[in-house]
Amino acid sequence: MRYHVSREETLRYLGYSGQRVDASLDARVDAMVARCEEVSSPGFTYRLFPVEQSEAGVRLAGTTLVLTGRDIAAHLVGARLCAVMAATAGLSNERELRRLSLLNGLDGMLFDAAGSALAEEVADACNAAIVADARDRGLYAKWRFSPGYGDLPLALQPDIVRVLAADKKLGITATDSHLLVPAKSVTAFVGLFDTPQDDKRSCANCGFAPYCSLREKGTPCYR
Amino acid sequence: MLPISSGTPLPDRSRLRVKDAYLADALAGRAYLVFDGAMGTMLQRRNLKAGELPELLCLSDPDEITAIHREYVEAGSQVVTTNTFGANARKLGDAATVDEVFAAAITCARASGARYVAADVGPTGALLEPMGTLSFDEAYELFAEQARAAQAHGADLFIVETMTDLLEAKAAVLAVKENSDLPVFATMTFDETGRTFLGTDPTTAAIVLSSLGANAVGVNCSLGPDALAPIVQQMLAVAPCPVMVQANAGLPDLVDGRTVYSVSPDAYLKALQPMVEAGASIVGGCCGTDPEYIRREAALVAGAVPPARTVEPLCAITSAQRSVVLKGRDVGVIGERINPTGKKKLKAALREGDYDYVLGEAISQAQAGADLLDVNAGLPEIDEPAVLRELVKRIQGVSGLPLQIDSSDPVAVEAAVRAYAGKPLVNSVNGKQESLREVLPIVAHYGCAVVGLTLDEGGIPPTAEERVNIAAKIVDAAAAHGIPRQDVYIDCLVMSASTNQAEVVEILRAVTLVKERLGVRTVLGVSNVSFGLPARPIVNGTFLAAAFAAGLDLPILNPLAERYREVVDTWRVLCGQDAGSANYIAGYANRVVPAAGATPSPSATQAADAGAAEAADGETRSELYRLVVAGNKGPVPAAVESLLAETDAMEVINGHLIPALDDVGERFERGTFFLPQLMASAEAAKAGFDVIRAHSDGADEGKGPIALATVKGDIHDIGKNIVRMLLENYGYKVHDLGRDVDPQAVVDAALKYDCKIIGLSALMTTTVKAMEDTIRLLREQAPGVKVMVGGAVLTQEYADMIGADFYAKDAAESARYAGEVIG
Repeated sequence: MRYHVSREETLRYLGYSGQRVDASLDARVDAMVARCEEVSSPGFTYRLFPVEQSEAGVRLAGTTLVLTGRDIAAHLVGARLCAVMAATAGLSNERELRRLSLLNGLDGMLFDAAGSALAEEVADACNAAIVADARDRGLYAKWRFSPGYGDLPLALQPDIVRVLAADKKLGITATDSHLLVPAKSVTAFVGLFDTPQDDKRSCANCGFAPYCSLREKGTPCYR
Repeated sequence: MLPISSGTPLPDRSRLRVKDAYLADALAGRAYLVFDGAMGTMLQRRNLKAGELPELLCLSDPDEITAIHREYVEAGSQVVTTNTFGANARKLGDAATVDEVFAAAITCARASGARYVAADVGPTGALLEPMGTLSFDEAYELFAEQARAAQAHGADLFIVETMTDLLEAKAAVLAVKENSDLPVFATMTFDETGRTFLGTDPTTAAIVLSSLGANAVGVNCSLGPDALAPIVQQMLAVAPCPVMVQANAGLPDLVDGRTVYSVSPDAYLKALQPMVEAGASIVGGCCGTDPEYIRREAALVAGAVPPARTVEPLCAITSAQRSVVLKGRDVGVIGERINPTGKKKLKAALREGDYDYVLGEAISQAQAGADLLDVNAGLPEIDEPAVLRELVKRIQGVSGLPLQIDSSDPVAVEAAVRAYAGKPLVNSVNGKQESLREVLPIVAHYGCAVVGLTLDEGGIPPTAEERVNIAAKIVDAAAAHGIPRQDVYIDCLVMSASTNQAEVVEILRAVTLVKERLGVRTVLGVSNVSFGLPARPIVNGTFLAAAFAAGLDLPILNPLAERYREVVDTWRVLCGQDAGSANYIAGYANRVVPAAGATPSPSATQAADAGAAEAADGETRSELYRLVVAGNKGPVPAAVESLLAETDAMEVINGHLIPALDDVGERFERGTFFLPQLMASAEAAKAGFDVIRAHSDGADEGKGPIALATVKGDIHDIGKNIVRMLLENYGYKVHDLGRDVDPQAVVDAALKYDCKIIGLSALMTTTVKAMEDTIRLLREQAPGVKVMVGGAVLTQEYADMIGADFYAKDAAESARYAGEVIG
C-alpha cells in the first residue's frame, strides 16, 4: 500500500501554530516529507482474539496476553473481541532518521516529525482494516488503546510483538526497556463490541491529563 | 573476545565433522538435500497459543514434537530441524535453560528416525546496535550458548535461519564456527523489495555468509516460492557453496483469526522446480508448508543429481547493504579522510570520542562518490582496538559504503572486523613473516579481503621485480590460509617523486606486473607521490591517471578533491566502466572549462539577498544578524568573513551572532517562530561559528563543557539532538553521550571532561526513573556539576522531585540556563 505522509500532520508534530514560514524552510519540509514517503517501509498486522475478563486482568483467549490495569479493563468492558495491532514506518525509516540526524539537525527533526505522521497514518490504516473486519462480523470498534496510555504498561510490548510475530512480519522488536524499534511504530488494542462505540480518544479519560505538557501546548498525543 | 589474536583454541573447521558420505556430497553440491517444512504451522494447527514459546513443548510434550518430525520424515525429509527457533536465553527467560531445551529438542528430532538432525538457530528477537540496543557480543553469547548445547547433545549440523540482520547472522555463524566442528547453513529472509528489513540484498548476503564459512547459504520465509526465484538466482550467481531455499506457502492471510497460506502443494512445487533446475540443491519449506509439500519436493529430486555450477571468482567487498564487485577494468575509490595522520581536527575528535565529527567525514565522502571508506584510528594515546571497533560500528549506522579496516595492530583489526556487518577489506598485511603470521589468520577466519603491502624485512625494494616477488609471497601465504587470490589486493607502495623520483615509474610498472603475473587486483595510496612538491593536486591527478592506465583498481584518495574526481570520472569513461558515458555526461555536460589565462573572480557569493528582509525589524541590524534570524545559512560564511576583516572574533560573536540567536529565542518564546525556525537559525549561526573557529586555529575550545545524554532505557534522542545543536551554536563545547546511556557513563563523562552542566533527556514516564538514578549518582560522585533535565513527560514538579537543578521546558531554555551557569 502507498501511504501519503501528511504535511499538516508533520507540521503539527513540530509544534506549528500558524507561524509565517519562509520559502526555504517550506521547501525543506516538503523535501523531508517526500524523503519519508520514499525511503520508509511501512506495514501493519493485526489479529482478533476473544476477550475474557479475569482477576489478573483482561485475558485475550488463545494468546499469552494479560492486559493489566483498570483503564484497559474499563475500555474493554462488554467487548466481544479485541484486535491486537502493530503498525510501523519500518526499519528503513529508522535508519534514514539516524543518518539524517547526524548529517543535519534540522533535516533530522523534520524527518522525525514526518515519520511520526507516517506511523500514525499506518496505524490509522490498520485501524480502518480492523473496523471493516468488525463490520463484516456485525461488530463495532472502539478507539485504539496503546500500551503507555493510562495504566496499561509498556511492559506488554515484547508480548505483543511475539503474539503478532511482528518481528518476522514487520521488523519490529522491543528493547529491554520495552520500547519499540523502529521507534516510529504503534501497537494497540482495539475492542470490538455488539453496539456502536465512541471511536474518538480524548483527554477526559486519561490519568495523565493534569500533568500533560502536550495537552498544555494544545498538541495532545492523539488527533 | 578476540579468539585469533588471543590464540584461543578453536575447532578445526578444515576437518568438519560430516556425518556420512551422502552429507559430504550434499555439502559439495553433488547431491540434493531435502529439509522439512514448517514447525510453527503444525503447532498452530494443534492450538498453540499465540505468544507462547513453542520450544517449551520439547520439554512438556516431546511426543507431539516427535510426531510432527516423523510426519516429515515419512514424507521424505532427510533433515529435520529441531524445535529451537527461539531457544535462546533472552527469549526463554526463566522458563527453561538453553541446554535443556536443545537436549530435549534433539532427542525429539532423533526419535523421528530422521537421517540428519539440524539444530535450528533463529534470531535473538532483539535488534542489534547501532539501531537497536543489543551489542554484537551479547548476540554472539546468546548464539554461542545454543551452539555449545547443540554440539553437546549430538546435532548433525546447524541451520541459522530467518535472519534479517546480516550482522546478527554473522554473530550466529561465528558462534557456530567457534564452538562446533559441524557444518553450518545460513539463510536470510527477504521482503517484496528483494532486501531484508535491514536492507541487505541477496548478493551481499551470499557473499558475506559464504566468505565467513557457511557451508550453504540461502533464503527462507517471508515470501512464496514465486517471489523467491529472483533472490535465489542472485545467490546462485555468487555463492561458491550450495544454495538452499525454504519458501513460505505464499503470503500469509488472516482468515477468522487464523493465518492461512494460499499456495497449494502442487503450485508450490511448480514454482520451486525452476530454482532447482537453476542449481538450488537444498530444499524444504517454511511457514504454511506441511508434509504434503515436502512429499512433492522429495519426489522431485529423488534419484537426481544437481546440475554442476561454476561460480566465477568474485572480487567483492561489502557492507551490509552494498557489494562493491570489481569486474574487468572497473575501478573503485577508497575515501582516505578517516585517518588521523596529519589531520589535527580528526585527531582531536578521536581523542575526545567525538564520533559525530568522524561520521560527518564518512557521509561527505559518500556524497562525493567514494565507493569504499578507509577507517583508521591509529593514534598512540588512544585504545585503538576499542576506538576502531566503535568507529566501524557507528559509520555503518550512517553510511552504506563498504569499509577498509586500516590498522597495523592485528588486535585492532580483529576487534573491528569481528563486529563488522559485511565483508571488509583489511589494510594491511605485508611480506614480513610476523605480519603474515598475525594478520592472515584473522582475514581467513572472518572472511575478509586483504591489502598486501610490497615490503618485507628488507624494507621497500626499489625495483618493480622485487616488489612483485614480495607480492607473490603474500599471495602464496594467503592461499595457504585458504584466502583465495581474488581476495588479495596488492599495494605497490607509492613513494614521493621529490625524494624517490626514479621509483615512480617502477611503481607503475610493478602495478602492471603484479596484475599480469599474479592475477590479483591492486591498491595505491595516491597522494604520497606529491609529498614535498608544490601544487600537489596537479601532481596527484597526473599520477592517478597514469596509475589507472598501469592497471590500478582501487586508489586510496580524498574523494572531496575536485581534480581526483575529474580523473576518476573521466577514466571510467575511457576504461568503459561508465557505460555510454552516462554518468560523465550527467555530471559534466554543463561544466564550463576555464579558458587559458582566465582567473576566477574573487568572492562572487556576496550578492545573495538572503530573504533577509523578512527578519529586518531593526534597520540597524547587520546583514549577519538578519541572515541568522532568517535561518539562511548559505551567505553566512561570507558575511562573517567580511565582518572579520574589520573587527575581531569576539565582536562578531557577541555583537552579531549571540544577539541574533537571542532574538530568535525570544520569537520562539512568543510563538512567532516554531521549532524548525529556531533550528534553521541555529544552523545559520553554526555556519558562522565554524568560520570563526577556523580563523582562531582551533584555539577556541568553546565554553563549558556540557555533556548531554538520553538516559538509560530510552532511545528517543531527537530532543537531546536539538538541545545539542542549539548549545553548540551558542559557542558551548558539548559532549554528546548518545542515547540509552548508563548512569555511570554519565558520571564518568562529567568527571573526565570536567563538565559544568549535565543535560539529561527522557521521553517516557518509565525512563524518568533512570534519570533520577543518574542524578543521584552524579550527586554522589560529581557533586559540583549542575543538572538540567528535559523531555516530553517532564514538568517542573517532576524535575524538582528527582533533584534536578533546572527544568528546561524547551531547547531555548537550556541555552538560557547555560548562559546563567557558564556565561
